[in-house]
Amino acid sequence: MNKQNAEAHTPLSPSLQANVQAIRSRFGESSDVVIRVFRSDAAPGRRLAIAYVDGIVDAETINRSVMEPLMSLQLPEYVIEKGARLLEALRGCVVSVGSMRDIHTLDEALQYMADGLCVIMADGSAAALTADVNGGEERSVGIAQTQTVIRGPQYGFVESLRTNISLIRRVIRSSSLHVQIHKVGKQTHTNVAVLYVHGIVDEGILKEVYRRLAAIDIDGILESGYIEEFIQDETFTLFPTLLNTERPDTVAAALLEGRVAIIVDGTPIALMAPTTFFSFFQSPEDFYQRYDIATFIRVIRYVAYVVSMLLPALYIAVTTYHQEMLPTTLLISLAAQREGIPFPGLVEALLMEMTFEVLREAGLRMPRAIGPAISIVGALVLGQSAVQAGIVSAGMVIVVSFTAISNFVMPEFNMAATSRIIRFGFMLMAGMLGFFGIFVSGLFMLIHLASLRSFGVPYMSPLAPGGAAQGLFRDMFIRMPWWAIVMRPLDMKMRNPKRRPNKKKPPAQRHSGKP
Amino acid sequence: MWRLCIICIVCLLTSGCWNRVELNEIGIISATGVDWKDGKWVLSHQVVIPQTISSQSPSTSTAAPVNVFSTSGDNFRIATKKASQETTRQLYFSHNQIVIIGQEAARRGLEQVFDVYLRNADSRETVTVFLAKGSARRILEQLIPLEKIPGNAIQRMIDFEEKNSSDFRQMTMHNVVQDLLGASQATGIPSLVVGGTNENLDRSEMLSITNTPSKVRLYDLGLIEKDKLVGWVSKEESFGVMWLADHIKRTTVAFSCAGDTERKQSSIRIISAKTKLSPARSGGKWIMRVQVKAEGGLLEYNCGGDLMKPYEVDKVARLIEREIESLLEKGWQAVRKHKADVVGFGSTIHKKYPKAWKEMKGDWPEHFSQMDIEATVRVKINSTGMSGSGFKQVQKKSRS
Repeated sequence: MNKQNAEAHTPLSPSLQANVQAIRSRFGESSDVVIRVFRSDAAPGRRLAIAYVDGIVDAETINRSVMEPLMSLQLPEYVIEKGARLLEALRGCVVSVGSMRDIHTLDEALQYMADGLCVIMADGSAAALTADVNGGEERSVGIAQTQTVIRGPQYGFVESLRTNISLIRRVIRSSSLHVQIHKVGKQTHTNVAVLYVHGIVDEGILKEVYRRLAAIDIDGILESGYIEEFIQDETFTLFPTLLNTERPDTVAAALLEGRVAIIVDGTPIALMAPTTFFSFFQSPEDFYQRYDIATFIRVIRYVAYVVSMLLPALYIAVTTYHQEMLPTTLLISLAAQREGIPFPGLVEALLMEMTFEVLREAGLRMPRAIGPAISIVGALVLGQSAVQAGIVSAGMVIVVSFTAISNFVMPEFNMAATSRIIRFGFMLMAGMLGFFGIFVSGLFMLIHLASLRSFGVPYMSPLAPGGAAQGLFRDMFIRMPWWAIVMRPLDMKMRNPKRRPNKKKPPAQRHSGKP
Repeated sequence: MWRLCIICIVCLLTSGCWNRVELNEIGIISATGVDWKDGKWVLSHQVVIPQTISSQSPSTSTAAPVNVFSTSGDNFRIATKKASQETTRQLYFSHNQIVIIGQEAARRGLEQVFDVYLRNADSRETVTVFLAKGSARRILEQLIPLEKIPGNAIQRMIDFEEKNSSDFRQMTMHNVVQDLLGASQATGIPSLVVGGTNENLDRSEMLSITNTPSKVRLYDLGLIEKDKLVGWVSKEESFGVMWLADHIKRTTVAFSCAGDTERKQSSIRIISAKTKLSPARSGGKWIMRVQVKAEGGLLEYNCGGDLMKPYEVDKVARLIEREIESLLEKGWQAVRKHKADVVGFGSTIHKKYPKAWKEMKGDWPEHFSQMDIEATVRVKINSTGMSGSGFKQVQKKSRS
């Protein structure tokens, strides 16, 4: 350990041989480390070396832009004399790669190599150059898989941070889109990019994001979920306080709303903060469809969310405690279904809910080829046969299925998962205390929701705390036409809270085109 | 924190579920009958058997959809308590649709019935109250074609009757109690009889033929004063009472042609009717001015006259007015005879002349029976239907 610490800031040696040795040994003689030592006319009498890790660099670029010029060009006499100058000259006149950097320690060299850069060293010089020749195999930009829309851009993020940032750059073509890259993870040195639109974002929130990112101390970051758990405000809550998406247009929209986006290298899922409860109910398509349709669908979404959280609980409460609330004919047909069912309503509901959750998880994890088999088993065997065998009532199957379907309406998966868990709590309370239990737990949930914050923004805003500007409600339960949405949706002090100067529809000429 | 959580969970788990009742543990009662027999109350319950009603189970046609049983006791709850000795399920009254009170019980007094309904949460005041000409249990046992649950069927029958012909009015327990606690302390409750042959329609197989030997029918209106049955008025008289009391929603009125008082050959569909009562004193007597306004369209017209001409239509309207006046008079005479103010004259006077009311409320039935009514009826014929003057007229014309 001590030795390693001492080596942490080992300067590069003037001897090329020593440097090459050091790099090799520090990489543990890994076979994919390529170090090529050569002589060049560019620097007669001095040996040069380039080092890189194979597979994460673009071999084509190395050959064309680094090796070829190095080996074929000749430098003026005066350059050759002084060691340091040589590298400067190589950088200035020879190597034709866009991004280059001087480094002076061995560790930097190793780090850059691991990052996919190429290190150029020269004999007699205690410094080195890096050339950005990043490359290697990566997935090409394809259709977003998790959040699909009918109308709107179809492409989604990929695993490469560079590509992902470029996708957003292509939407917001402005110099005010700022990108800051942080390295997180002692082993993985993962690049974490923080994106924001300068002039819209709240500087306080931005600083808070930086502060929280800087405080992360972990050996590796493999996905944005790691970051999310480190930087979210509250750990012991079922409700997500950061939005995530794999859609560049969603990130761009969030940036324009004054949010900060966090993109992690190696995953197509980007994070957005701060966020509110109601933003989880907005699909990107809400903003692309006509506003009336969007409003209708959004209302359906809210209803479906409540259904997916409460329907089994309501069913249990009504059938075991409050039979008087049902219309007589409905009561009788429910009673007929329940004849001969061995379990109490609560057990029956838990049984079916668990069955469904297992089916769902099985559907996700199993190999693709077995997919149809599971649906047959699930739909036919468990649904129909269970009813025919008199183990569960048909009404319960309907309730559980509708609950399950309602859950899929949510555009954000993490918010949908929340209702899946909370549902069980509601069911237990309904089974023990009826409507009273549902009401009490609902109250607790609301209190909890109101206590949450995301990067200082109240989670339930603009609904709670009260006093939010009227304009914030134009894009919450309903979506007004675009020209009427003047305010950016976050209830916080932004430098530039307005999207549009005023709530006026641009005039349209009725007989345009006619003389 | 954790300790608090555990305490909460334990409290919930140990105390919860105490009044939980599964659907297959309750016996849903669709109708209740109240009889008085040998010095005891006899309660009859019509319990729904859900399996036979649901479309899922295969044995729908043969098994009876309901089961009727009776228990007796000195009061209602004791009688209900005894039910647990002969049924497997908890009797569930919240979905009770109708209460049928036998004639004997009604004559004896209904104070106890009202107390049960006002005191208990599970007995709802929205149940419809009926009287039975005979025993209430006899009616509960009767199956009704087209409907599965007889209790529901009777409830629908009165609902339909009230909305479409208004001979009778649906009296919920709430209405009854409100009337009896109001100024006049009297009310009218429609009654049920089993019509046709006396054969009991109590097996489902009997519904497999196209006609039924007997059926449940709405019959006379029973007049209740204080809490006792004091008399019956016939269906026609009841119709007049409904006109007087402003309970006509929609109905059909038959009327006779000018000069012909025997046969009522024509009829009008009343689609809206409004009765206004205004009491007045004349001499030492109270007079009730009854103003009726009705609107409707002709359904049948066989009296001649060219209905294309407005003054002919007006003539027809006069005929109908006279008809309604006679209905009012019939109804009035009937209730006057029994001294039962089921038409709400008392409360009208109470509202308009509170001082005078105070003096005479002690012997209001007497005052009531000495009153007179002055009826003025205005009928507006909105349409004469799709044919103008009628088949006969057209035929005459086509020949000439």
